[in-house]
Amino acid sequence: MKKLLLAFGMITVLFPACTKKDNGNNDNNDLNRKNMLSNYAENYVIPAYANMLGKLTELKTKTESFTATPNEANLDALQQSWREAYTIWQRTEMLEFDPAEDASLRMYMNIYPVSVTKVNSNIASGTYNLEAFGSTDVQGFPALDFLLNGLAATNADIVGFYITDPLAQNRKKYLQDVVNKMVEKTQTVNNAWASYKTTFTDRTGTDVNSSLSKMVNAYVLYYERYLRSGKIGLPAGAMTGNALPQLTEAYYTPSLSNELAKTALNAVSNFYEGKSYDGATDGAGIKDYLASIGTMDKDKLMSDIISDEMNEAITALNNLNTPIKEAVVNNRPAVLGLYDQLQDVVPLLKVDMVSAFGISITYVDNDGD
Amino acid sequence: MTYNLKNIFSKSYLGKPVYSAALAFFRIVFGLMIFGGIVRFWLKGWIEELYIQPKFFFHYYGFEFIQPLGSYTYALFIVCGLSALMFALGLFYRIAALLLFLSFTYIELLDKTNYLNHYYFVSLVLFLMMWLPAHVNFSIDAWRKPSILKRQIPLWTVGSIRLMLGIVYCYAGLAKLNSDWLLEAMPLRLWLPAKNDMPIIGSLFNEVWVAYLFSWFGAIYDLTIAFFLLNKKTRPFAYVTVIVFHVMTSLLFPIGMFPYIMILATLIFFDSKSIDALFSGMKQRFSQLPIAASNTAFGFAPRSQKFLTVLFVCFFSFQLVFPWRYLLHKGELFWTEEGYRFSWRVMLMEKMGYAQFVVKDAATGKTVAVNNNDFLTKNQEKMMATQADFMLQYAHMLRDYFRQQGMKEPEVRATVYVTLNGRRSRLFADTTVNLAKEYDSFRNKNWILAYSDKIYGL
Repeated sequence: MKKLLLAFGMITVLFPACTKKDNGNNDNNDLNRKNMLSNYAENYVIPAYANMLGKLTELKTKTESFTATPNEANLDALQQSWREAYTIWQRTEMLEFDPAEDASLRMYMNIYPVSVTKVNSNIASGTYNLEAFGSTDVQGFPALDFLLNGLAATNADIVGFYITDPLAQNRKKYLQDVVNKMVEKTQTVNNAWASYKTTFTDRTGTDVNSSLSKMVNAYVLYYERYLRSGKIGLPAGAMTGNALPQLTEAYYTPSLSNELAKTALNAVSNFYEGKSYDGATDGAGIKDYLASIGTMDKDKLMSDIISDEMNEAITALNNLNTPIKEAVVNNRPAVLGLYDQLQDVVPLLKVDMVSAFGISITYVDNDGD
Repeated sequence: MTYNLKNIFSKSYLGKPVYSAALAFFRIVFGLMIFGGIVRFWLKGWIEELYIQPKFFFHYYGFEFIQPLGSYTYALFIVCGLSALMFALGLFYRIAALLLFLSFTYIELLDKTNYLNHYYFVSLVLFLMMWLPAHVNFSIDAWRKPSILKRQIPLWTVGSIRLMLGIVYCYAGLAKLNSDWLLEAMPLRLWLPAKNDMPIIGSLFNEVWVAYLFSWFGAIYDLTIAFFLLNKKTRPFAYVTVIVFHVMTSLLFPIGMFPYIMILATLIFFDSKSIDALFSGMKQRFSQLPIAASNTAFGFAPRSQKFLTVLFVCFFSFQLVFPWRYLLHKGELFWTEEGYRFSWRVMLMEKMGYAQFVVKDAATGKTVAVNNNDFLTKNQEKMMATQADFMLQYAHMLRDYFRQQGMKEPEVRATVYVTLNGRRSRLFADTTVNLAKEYDSFRNKNWILAYSDKIYGL
């Protein structure tokens, strides 16, 4: 008993000494995961899918006009609509958790490079199943890129593929089917979120099936695999040493690739900050949550360090003036420099942030490493 | 009673008779807990997930001969479960104890990804139990052959289980005497807010002082609880503390059966007389029960007495010394983890890593970036990304795999970032070292980069 008293005495003596160090800690409101989840659901995810669906519906209308009357004006309008929708998709793709994950949305929207051989054989045969395993690289925005921008060098010649070409009818149908599938899948996810919202905001834990865990894991996975690697690392051959420009996103529209990457990276940054989808308001985000936990490096909050590193990556991307597809061949050092900036963020998100959040990755027993 | 060392280690003290009911009770409880643990493991689908699905297993150094059994793993678990039941019932006790020790330990040695201190603890206790006369009271063996019924056994038998528990607690407490735990309240400071959605007390976990309180209480608890349990006066209070402490940890952390095992195992500290009284009460009501009623004492044959003395002295000397082996390694223990396992370092740090492996054929220059998910389960990847010996084994597996795939001279390099107790992640390993050519040993791994922070203490 004496020992116990002595020990508690020591605690009271030592406490003031320890607590002085805790700057940045303890804005308890920001540690409320329900608030944060509500902010993400209401102000980002739900508006994101609504907007995405709007853009795709427009794309569908433009596709119908073009297939009904294939001409250059309609193709122009359709290409424009495709560019807009593809750009908006960059702000949506990182949300591949829960309803979007259930629907495997990304698989129907943006797996590239498109397999031209498979697309052409689908068009030629007229029989295909877009839901089938192994069909991910014959549809979505990349397939549309090929069908709308990649068939020939000029729009006049592209239109020819939809009028005079022996397979014009099949091609029109294929184009329409791909767009319809994108609308259908996005519709599913959009509808699901309406009823899913409460489930999402109620799962406030940090276990493997909690909303925070699912959201953060999807977000980090997206950043690492689909943004860093997909958009820059793989075309540049950052890890393998061989540039592979054919892996570039929007390969047939090189002028768009950099824009897509910029939009995606800005979306990743805004999402981290907890900004609303329209950018108008700044709500409770994972950055604020991390700041409240208060992990630091050299008197600087880790949450701020992550912001800084993201901003550096954004600057590096903005400074890349040549299309990615060309830059990976002609200006590889610049692209690799950009890749390094993007890479610097990966351990910060995947390791520092997730570790501070105390998120579990499995249900298996663990006695703390 | 005075506890002075000379008395404690004297023959007359260690050989002093205590009631065998205490050890028999422990046997029943411990066996049933293991049986429950095996059933739980099976029902959760973990046999499949942890021992059948993985394509690759991380062996313990020196135990490479322990091979996965594929679908026969189920048979192994059946053997383990059945022997746990036989152990609890005291049916063919010696054989059951041996089988249980071997099957349980085999399972644990299959993949070090699943290393848990409490599994190690169970293996050690089972090893001790193999040699102890835990079946001379309230067992089916005694019902079949009443002549083995003995009401008393030497104190050292029960004492060795107490000592084992005492070592676990004390060493776990000593391990907490470091600057991160005591002065920074790490890692509880990260783990507690993650539970702030718990009903009623959840909001307390946002408070930093609560993390300090839990850290200090945890350290003091671990260091002192065995002594408070030994002392008759403080025992009831101490046992209530045991229950509260372990129930709390089970609510907060995913540590499975461990809290319950400890709550029940610490009953061994209670006076053997009280458990004997409990047994006698049952005997009075059900006279058929194989419970020792007359005052008979179990005695070891002189030869086995000698053998066991040597064995147990060696065993406990090893237990006392082995956790300190980290002192022979240079570098920060929490960073390198050289000498970290098998030392009762429980819930001591929050560590997470990220490991990107790249394999290059030195002959052709062909380079492949490895997707860890192609080879490892999530849990294996998590463990691999922070622990050097895992990285080496993984690198060797990748070397062999890519050689099979046609590479002539595969070189394996890794970029690994690790965060420790909330500090900013930094490079863990030398990115230029070809891990295919490095080998595991008890020596320092020179390719682990030095940690620039110092964690003071044990």
